Amino acid sequence: MTTETVERKLTRADLMRAFWRYVFLFQCGWNYERMQSVGYAYSILPILKKLHPDPEEFKEAFLTNLNFFNTNPVVGAPLIIGAHIALEEAGAALETTEGLKVGLMGPMAGVGDTLVWALYNSVIFSIGASMALGGSVLGPILVILLVFFPYLAVRYWQFTWAYQQGSNLVASLGGGLIARVTEFATMVGLVVVGGFAPSIVRMAIAWKPAITTTVQGQAATTTIDIQQQLDAILPFMLPVLITALAYWLLRRGWSPVAVLGVLFVIGFIGGAIGLLG
Amino acid sequence: MTIVYAIVLAALAYYAWYDILGPNFTLAFRPLISGFFAGLIIGDVQMGLLIGGTLELMALGVYTYGGATIPEYSVGAILGTYFGKSQGFEVGLALAIPAALLLTQLDVLNRFLNFVFVHRADAYAEAGDSRGFDRMMVVFSHMIWGFTRAIPVFLAVAFGEPAVTAVTTFFNNNAWINQGISVVGGILPALGFAMLLKIMPIQKYPAFLLLGFVMYAYLKMPLVGIAIAAVAITLVFQQIKYRTAEG
Repeated sequence: MTTETVERKLTRADLMRAFWRYVFLFQCGWNYERMQSVGYAYSILPILKKLHPDPEEFKEAFLTNLNFFNTNPVVGAPLIIGAHIALEEAGAALETTEGLKVGLMGPMAGVGDTLVWALYNSVIFSIGASMALGGSVLGPILVILLVFFPYLAVRYWQFTWAYQQGSNLVASLGGGLIARVTEFATMVGLVVVGGFAPSIVRMAIAWKPAITTTVQGQAATTTIDIQQQLDAILPFMLPVLITALAYWLLRRGWSPVAVLGVLFVIGFIGGAIGLLG
Repeated sequence: MTIVYAIVLAALAYYAWYDILGPNFTLAFRPLISGFFAGLIIGDVQMGLLIGGTLELMALGVYTYGGATIPEYSVGAILGTYFGKSQGFEVGLALAIPAALLLTQLDVLNRFLNFVFVHRADAYAEAGDSRGFDRMMVVFSHMIWGFTRAIPVFLAVAFGEPAVTAVTTFFNNNAWINQGISVVGGILPALGFAMLLKIMPIQKYPAFLLLGFVMYAYLKMPLVGIAIAAVAITLVFQQIKYRTAEG
């Protein structure tokens, strides 16, 4: 058993630079298409630049890190960025780091949203709001204090912890195992995407045609719930179909902007005439 | 004086959204906090506490899960506090709630329009231009967010209550605009997933994608459960695949 450790190429200043970039701009530029992707790329960019001196390699790493990304920004994102930096420093392939991101972002979104928003925030804000309604300025001030320090601490701790753990993990792996880890990460990622995509993409038929039939001289009106029929055939059928359409167009060489245009037209017209909802 | 309030309150609305996007220092996008800040600015902290506290209790636990649009309570709290000071708490609250609901349309539009940043980013990456990308992020990436909140606040304060009522009525009478935009908001993530799938080895391992779908769509498993199952399935797969190698 060798006790070799990963060669450190990054300094503490490099790490802190990525951390503060994450803190100040992580969700800026959030959009429906790739969600937190630009903020993620912005956070990790100095690391990529330092570890990929070759311009072509840097370009590829930059582009790859602009892929779709979304997780909880407070509990989740710093952990993933920290672990990613460790893998990147150890010279992991782009598929490995993408697998790590994709595999962790969905589950961490669930954990983070529940812990930070549903639990912690609901508690502190219900206390703060009650105090405010009682006329006390301490209500909002207390909430601000309970946000400012704990949020910063929990983000810093996740980031550094994940970086340390990531390095240890990589240090304990031999060269042949890297391929296996990559395969592991991409497979877990594929399963998670299979569940994550239908949970995010929303598309349903809102149109419920009413059909009037005459039965034994009596006029009877029935409404047909098309969406319910579709659900009976395959749940999330429309989200699956629209994602498949986008995937197919991309594979045929369409640019993302062209596909975006197609999706916009389908959605806007469908929504405006009341077919989709 | 009205114009000064209009500018400062608009800046508060901008800050409130910048804060939740990035630093999370004060969570000023919550009505309790933005109402409090608005009260400090206009010199009526009690009104800010009342409007903010009331809206906060209505909004407890309401967050933008997965990027969903929620009522724009921060703008509601700012406008409610401002109009509440001159016309009383009841009028302020009665104005805050429709304003919060109306502005959800701008939120959807905002999250859609932000696609420009991701496409600019692709171009910067292609050119290997990290400086240009940094500039875009620092200077521009929060502008659509900020201005979609700041401009309505500025206009509402500058033009007063009749303007707010007129705009609300227009959108209520033309519901198709909102319907169209909200459907677009639901569909667009399909493109992001399609791009992700394009770089993943989906053709080599299609079964894994299907398993994830079945667990979510039929078994209604939460994503954490799906991830744990994914780890288990992959472990088994790898143990079988590498069994000979391990002897």
